Amino acid sequence: MNHKIQVLAAAALAVGVATAAQAQDNTFKIGAIRYTTNSKTNGIQGVGVPPGADAETGDATTLLLTYERALTPNIGVELVIGIPPKITAKATGTVAFLGDDVLSAKNVAPTVLVNYHFGSPGDAWRPYVGAGINYTKFVSVKSKLAPDVKMSDSTGLAVQLGVDYAASKDWGVFASIAKVQTKSKLVAAGTTVLTTEIDFRPTTYSFGVSYRF
Amino acid sequence: MRFVRKLAPLALSAVLLAACGGGDPYVPGSGSPSGAPTTQGSFSAVVSFGDSLSDVGAYTPATAIPGLATVGGKFTTNSASGTVWVENLATSMGLLITPGEVGFNGQSLKCPAAASPNPVVAASCTGYGQGGARVTDPNGIGRDPATGLGALTVPVVTQIANHLAQFGSFKPSDLILVYAGNNDVFVQFGAFAAQAAAIQAQAGSGAITADQANAALFQAQSEAQAAMKQAAIELGGYVKTQILAKGGKYVAVMTLSDIGDTPFGNSPQVAPAKTVLTDLSRIFNLWLRESLTGQPVQIVDTFALFKAVAANPAQYGFINNTLPACDATKIATITGGQITDGSSLFCNSTVGAIYNTMRDTPLVGDATTWFFADSVHPTTGGHKAISDTIEAQLRAFGWI
Repeated sequence: MNHKIQVLAAAALAVGVATAAQAQDNTFKIGAIRYTTNSKTNGIQGVGVPPGADAETGDATTLLLTYERALTPNIGVELVIGIPPKITAKATGTVAFLGDDVLSAKNVAPTVLVNYHFGSPGDAWRPYVGAGINYTKFVSVKSKLAPDVKMSDSTGLAVQLGVDYAASKDWGVFASIAKVQTKSKLVAAGTTVLTTEIDFRPTTYSFGVSYRF
Repeated sequence: MRFVRKLAPLALSAVLLAACGGGDPYVPGSGSPSGAPTTQGSFSAVVSFGDSLSDVGAYTPATAIPGLATVGGKFTTNSASGTVWVENLATSMGLLITPGEVGFNGQSLKCPAAASPNPVVAASCTGYGQGGARVTDPNGIGRDPATGLGALTVPVVTQIANHLAQFGSFKPSDLILVYAGNNDVFVQFGAFAAQAAAIQAQAGSGAITADQANAALFQAQSEAQAAMKQAAIELGGYVKTQILAKGGKYVAVMTLSDIGDTPFGNSPQVAPAKTVLTDLSRIFNLWLRESLTGQPVQIVDTFALFKAVAANPAQYGFINNTLPACDATKIATITGGQITDGSSLFCNSTVGAIYNTMRDTPLVGDATTWFFADSVHPTTGGHKAISDTIEAQLRAFGWI
């Protein structure tokens, strides 16, 4: 009996939300995002660089902010930004002795995605998939090995898979996984000049709360 | 909605950042000089700055052995025809070049040719290269920093100043050759080798770990490279502010060749660190090129050009490019034990002369078909290969 009432209540709520959803075109999300990089480089080139010298980037966690505008009940355009996290790189290969912190940079990485939301507005659980473009700019690039380090900007595809859970008409929680193409050419000028291209190949894991209005 | 207003600037700044993307970062050393003359010059002088490779006889008086003869004077297989590349080039252009300064042990004479009644000879003292000379540091190889005695090793910066003092300025009719930095490599490599020996001793005794030793070696190498970078940028600066800005028009700047390709580089003591040695030249060349990017000079890349000679000696007429043609023991004997390192400054190849110091064991050294006179300096034949190579470059520039 109780169970039946709950189902009915949920159905009524769903109808109510569905009608109200016409006005709920905007969603903000705030949460945590974990970058796990699986970086590889094309090797490090430069005078004095021993064969087999390499580096790999570490992981980072930061604050995520997104805004999504619904275009239809199922399709929305989402802008993803975050507080730029600090990503560090450690020396590997034949130069592993140089240690863990040979490079650090903050990546400013706005992403625009077009999402398809399964189900209907008002469903408690709505999985979504999205695809779009990521732009990454590396700032505060520093190395203890070279005073002058520059990294090129990256523009690449981004895809994501996520799920929203609506806890109330306005508030909910979400979780998502994304893959982003991020490549950057690096030039480090110190006593020698090092060049490499880093393919970050990141997977990001995000979760947080959403607010819809 | 306050929430929205707070976030809007963030979103906007992200979009703005996205809009201002740049291309690939500039790679220092990847540029080129530009604006050098492309037409044939009307040359009246070859003006040469540098070190022992370009030394046309700065230390000749010091090689006079009492009761015997002046046995040497140039860093090659000395003889009546034992000329160095700068002289060969001048000769082929119909010009004369003599030392800008001659001396030893604190005594020197600038422009000895000025005493000549012949005005052409008197003005020929434009060969400033001196054995041991560095780019900026007056304490070159063979000079006692405490007393200033020994070799003069007038650095290139002062060589240029001396030319300006003697002749007032550079002229469009000067073919200006700048070939320096080898001795900076030797000094920095020596500093690295001393540190490396200490580090290896510590690692051997277990005082430091292998990783710590590697990091210390890397640091020592970086310090040596930093000094080469500084020397290169200084040399590029002298070319700009003391040569180009003072009337120099036809200016050829030589990169450094790979000193790893010499008997010194291949000696048992040095060979294990040969890449360190090679990289000191390459670092110098990188920053020399960077500092001359956009400047109206021509760069002669001796690194690549002499690599070709080292790799294909037969093609250039050499049957031996690994052994010094001069005999260190004979040189020690003839100098009464004063010169024990086999320096070709005292080497003489005159056939039949009592002071001939050419090697005759295990092979008979030859001044023409062997490349090296001593551990680093070329024979007469080696110098001819260098002058042929550089002359070909000058032709390619359209200058001669």
